[in-house]
Amino acid sequence: MPIALEEILETIRMTEVEHFDIRTVTMGINLRDCVTDDLNKLKKNIYDKLMRVASEHVKAAEKVEADFGISIANKRISVTPISIITDGFRQEDMVEVAQVLDKAATELGIDYLGGYSALVQKGCSRGEKAFIQSIPQALAGTKHVCSSVNVATTKAGINMEAVKMMGQVVKETALLTADREAIGCAKLVVFANVPEDNPFIAGAFHGVSEPEVVVNVGISGPGVILRAIKEAPEDLDIARLSDRIRRMAFKITRAGEFIGKRVAELQDVRFGIVDISLAPTPLEGDSVADILKAMGLEDVGAPGTTAALALLTDSVKRGGMMASSHVGGMSGAFIPVSEDAGMIAAVEKEHITIEKLEAMTSVCSVGLDMIAVPGETSAETIAGIILDECAIGIMNNKTTAVRIIPVPGKQAGEMVDYGGLLGKAPIMPVSNLRNSIFVNRGGQFPAPSRGLRN
Amino acid sequence: MALNEQDIKKIAEEALKQLGHSASPEAVEQVVRETVSRLQEGGPSEPVKEWKNVQSGQKPASTERIIITAFGKNRVGILAKMTEALAKNNCDILDLTQKLMQDFFTIMLLVDISNSPHSFEQIKNDLIQTGEALDLKVIVQHEEIFNAMHRI
Repeated sequence: MPIALEEILETIRMTEVEHFDIRTVTMGINLRDCVTDDLNKLKKNIYDKLMRVASEHVKAAEKVEADFGISIANKRISVTPISIITDGFRQEDMVEVAQVLDKAATELGIDYLGGYSALVQKGCSRGEKAFIQSIPQALAGTKHVCSSVNVATTKAGINMEAVKMMGQVVKETALLTADREAIGCAKLVVFANVPEDNPFIAGAFHGVSEPEVVVNVGISGPGVILRAIKEAPEDLDIARLSDRIRRMAFKITRAGEFIGKRVAELQDVRFGIVDISLAPTPLEGDSVADILKAMGLEDVGAPGTTAALALLTDSVKRGGMMASSHVGGMSGAFIPVSEDAGMIAAVEKEHITIEKLEAMTSVCSVGLDMIAVPGETSAETIAGIILDECAIGIMNNKTTAVRIIPVPGKQAGEMVDYGGLLGKAPIMPVSNLRNSIFVNRGGQFPAPSRGLRN
Repeated sequence: MALNEQDIKKIAEEALKQLGHSASPEAVEQVVRETVSRLQEGGPSEPVKEWKNVQSGQKPASTERIIITAFGKNRVGILAKMTEALAKNNCDILDLTQKLMQDFFTIMLLVDISNSPHSFEQIKNDLIQTGEALDLKVIVQHEEIFNAMHRI
């Protein structure tokens, strides 16, 4: 059936007016074959491999953008968790490896490189402990490198020791990048149930069960969904509202899969997955918060917000699963505060608090994301926030995460501006009730009974 | 069986309809010719085989088909200039739709560029420049993205 004029115009409206784009085409690269016991050799191996394997990645993405008229906002790379590659080295050696990654990313023209990561949900090796300690310096000394640490899974429970360490690492990262409003923390995320094929930053890494090289894609289309809901009459029942979201999610997932496959094909690389998370941008109208409002809430934070987000997340999944055989990553809806104009406005009006956001994370795709808090927030308070998110994650069998920024010298109500896709964040107040005895208990938080599924 | 001009016209119209996008002048002529000769020979009136052959012989949707969309204020010569640019690049127009909403003009062209001596990028730039001279926004995309998004 030939394509109708209306369909062409709809596509063009999506890309030109509603900011539909491909948020990222992320090339996952295995670095396990770079391992050696000589630091200089290791650095050379990593650099050479990245420069060889990803040499055409940006070019291929740009060609696909030009051919099909759909822009790809970011070209990214994810690598095998560096804690695995550098186990056995010293903390300062690991920082040098981060700098090599950054150098390669700069020379390749990559926006972000994810994978300065560790998976420590059930305990840390000696190397992993050193690695976690190296994160603040690694992030402070690089521009493109992103870091993530998985501290909990439904199968393993929560590594309390790692949670405590991550509270301190977040604080230290903020201090080391204090001159840039603690931007290091925007590149650091603590996970529960992390997916191994996520193309989104800061949590992207190339899982150990992944193939040698793979291309994953993440879409971004809140504006498109927003229009579908805005056009719906106020008395449209909830299932039909879901149907509208599904239809749009289908189309944008198809576009994402198509673009990802093309970028993979051009480089003769395997295509992995589409992550159908709706990723907002700070642009007007490209906001997940606006979608929730359009469903019939005065603002995000109103009673009913969590239910509206649940409907959105589930409808997007239904449409996306129909559209692509390989849906993966986080696949839901992101609710980052600083990257979403509607969220920023809601925080400024004090319509939404960290506690409400926490409730929303039980039904969104990730967690407390891009939240700026006062600089004086203690490492223990941050560890407590991480623990709460981990608990939601492991008990509900979903991915949760914390990307929190304690901005040195700033108080609640002030603002930090990172520019670009990271946007600007109002500093949110945090409860400072003491929790130190609880978070310092250490040990392994037992895996929930729902982890035993056999 | 004697055929008059009217009958042949009808056959040609039917052929055009059946062939859809693959209806190049040669393909239509072939179908009409073979249909006419079959009818004149007085053979059995079974479904015309030639049509199926032409259909299956048509090129699958390949990267050679592009969709050009242009919008802007209506003025004299928009279509003429756009098609002129395509002819210069030896591009074959397969389908064309236009719509005028008040003063706002939209055209959509489905074009085969497989016989063009120029690359997709060159044709795209040429069309965008032609559009700029007419105050038109021109968007040029390979057809496949639309199939991916709008067809199950």
